[in-house]
Amino acid sequence: MLVEPTQLVDTERGLLSRRIFIEPEIYQQELQQLFARCWLYLCHDSQIPLPGDFYTTYMGEDPVLVVRGSDGQIRAFLNVCRHRGNRLCRAEDGNAASFTCAYHGWTYGNDGRLTGVPNLREAYHGELNRDRWGLVPVAQLDTYKGLVFATFDPEAPSLRDYLGEMAWYLDTFVDRREGGIEIVATHKWVMPCNWKFPAENFGGDAYHVNWSHRSAVTTGFSVGSTASPASGNKAVSPGQGHGLICIGADAYGDAPLPEIQAYEREIRPEVEARLGPRAKLINPIVGTVFPNFSVLRGTSRTLRVWQPRGPDKTEIWSWVVVDKAAPPEVKRAFRLSGVRGFSPAGTFEQDDMDNWQECTQTCRGIMSRRVPVNTQMGLGHERFDPALGAWASDYGFSESNHREFYRRWAELMANGAAANGTAGNGAGDA
Amino acid sequence: MGPAMRNEDLIREIEQFLYCEARLLDSRRFHEWLELFTDDVRYWMAGRSNRYPKSSKAITILDPERYVEDDVGREDELALLDESKETLAARVARLDTGMAWAEDPPSRTRHMITNIELEGDDAGAELKVYSNFIVYRSRAETEQDFYVGAREDLLRRVDGAWKIAYRKLILDQNVLTAKNISVFF
Repeated sequence: MLVEPTQLVDTERGLLSRRIFIEPEIYQQELQQLFARCWLYLCHDSQIPLPGDFYTTYMGEDPVLVVRGSDGQIRAFLNVCRHRGNRLCRAEDGNAASFTCAYHGWTYGNDGRLTGVPNLREAYHGELNRDRWGLVPVAQLDTYKGLVFATFDPEAPSLRDYLGEMAWYLDTFVDRREGGIEIVATHKWVMPCNWKFPAENFGGDAYHVNWSHRSAVTTGFSVGSTASPASGNKAVSPGQGHGLICIGADAYGDAPLPEIQAYEREIRPEVEARLGPRAKLINPIVGTVFPNFSVLRGTSRTLRVWQPRGPDKTEIWSWVVVDKAAPPEVKRAFRLSGVRGFSPAGTFEQDDMDNWQECTQTCRGIMSRRVPVNTQMGLGHERFDPALGAWASDYGFSESNHREFYRRWAELMANGAAANGTAGNGAGDA
Repeated sequence: MGPAMRNEDLIREIEQFLYCEARLLDSRRFHEWLELFTDDVRYWMAGRSNRYPKSSKAITILDPERYVEDDVGREDELALLDESKETLAARVARLDTGMAWAEDPPSRTRHMITNIELEGDDAGAELKVYSNFIVYRSRAETEQDFYVGAREDLLRRVDGAWKIAYRKLILDQNVLTAKNISVFF
């Protein structure tokens, strides 16, 4: 029985029920309706560049093994042994021709095929068809400019259609120079908040920067480009729940390190040539690909996934990225700005945690939960801008992106038909 | 050469130096704490990866020459902190703004420093010092975190006083269970 999401989200009036941030039934519905259907970010192809390279991650709460087969093809599977359901691979990355379960020793090739079953002949009397008991693959896997995504829904639109106009905006983060980006550092940590708070925050909350993060701006860790709603700043919604905070094309949002400032000046003609005329209109700084993948260029450069871990818990998986073509001293500067700005100890990021935690925890109160949260900033003051290919707010601070995020959330939460068509009860297979 | 063979006075002196440092941190006397570092200090914290060793039978490695089994973050990866004297000072200045929300109200910390081991020439101006730490953090009403790991310090005698010229911290977690790192080590 699904909770009717239109009772929870009223984007016309800018009101959200706080039940969506705390109730276990709604969270379970999100796992089914969003995380089992949407395209979710897995990893960057620079993390698994050669045959046998693997990376383990999650899609929703499902553990997933991403592996480049000996044939060079990237595949992703549930990281679950088909025998007793043990987690197959316990390492976060590495290189393998095959994976062997620690429980009874079932072995799978890096293409997912079941290749080894101890005592197959004697114990199974040769009656186990190994071809039918390989690892369970994701329904679709695709890459966009080195970003590896997958979905559990065979009926999902293509990745390119799912991203829509967001694809260009992603280019401004990952395709600024020939060769794209590479990962230089990884941070993973747990925060006691609902996953939607960071997702909506990165997708459109310029408003909090000047207050939540003022200490880091005044002490020189950031230029605070989104903190003041200058004329060029906008909340931009390219559709399907994706959103970004953008600054003016000539505004500078990177870390205030001289190496980075000089580098950005130097590469600007190349960046503009690659990104095309829209790059002369707008400069995207931070954004969220619905539902839980965010990209950041302001202060620090990171990609991150908000891994849901129950209604009141989220793991942040964050990767500091650099342009592959950047010289070593610039890569070093970006790495340091990542560690110092957006990481567990980041001078920006550490101040977000208590806010998101308390926004979640206060929902436990039955009276607090009855009072909707206000998502009305700039309501009715957004318009579709054809040059941007997106809805844009008329002011640098707006919750127009929040409303788009939750509009999409409600749409997917309500639409149950295709949601678990392939999931079944798990017993009818093979 | 183990500590037992060393000058006992030097061992006591270094222990007292590290305990005093811990007391400054737990008393939130961060400006005095900063004075314990040389101007050229590098202060960094590595994380831990979660990898199979090469000997593991859980995988058959396809490409042994490229396989990395080391699980301690290298200098160019997985740093949780990577600071100079200047950025440490800026972090302390940030705490003084009245808007450093991760520490407002402040965390309550207790630094336990153990396993102190000296390496190097007793008579020299620099001394390598190993230690382990448990940092307990109590926050807000009932929140608790334990940050546990190791330190490798290079201490340098400057005008008769010990200063920390290099500090490497290793935090023994893969996915950090604390929501942030807003305290010093």
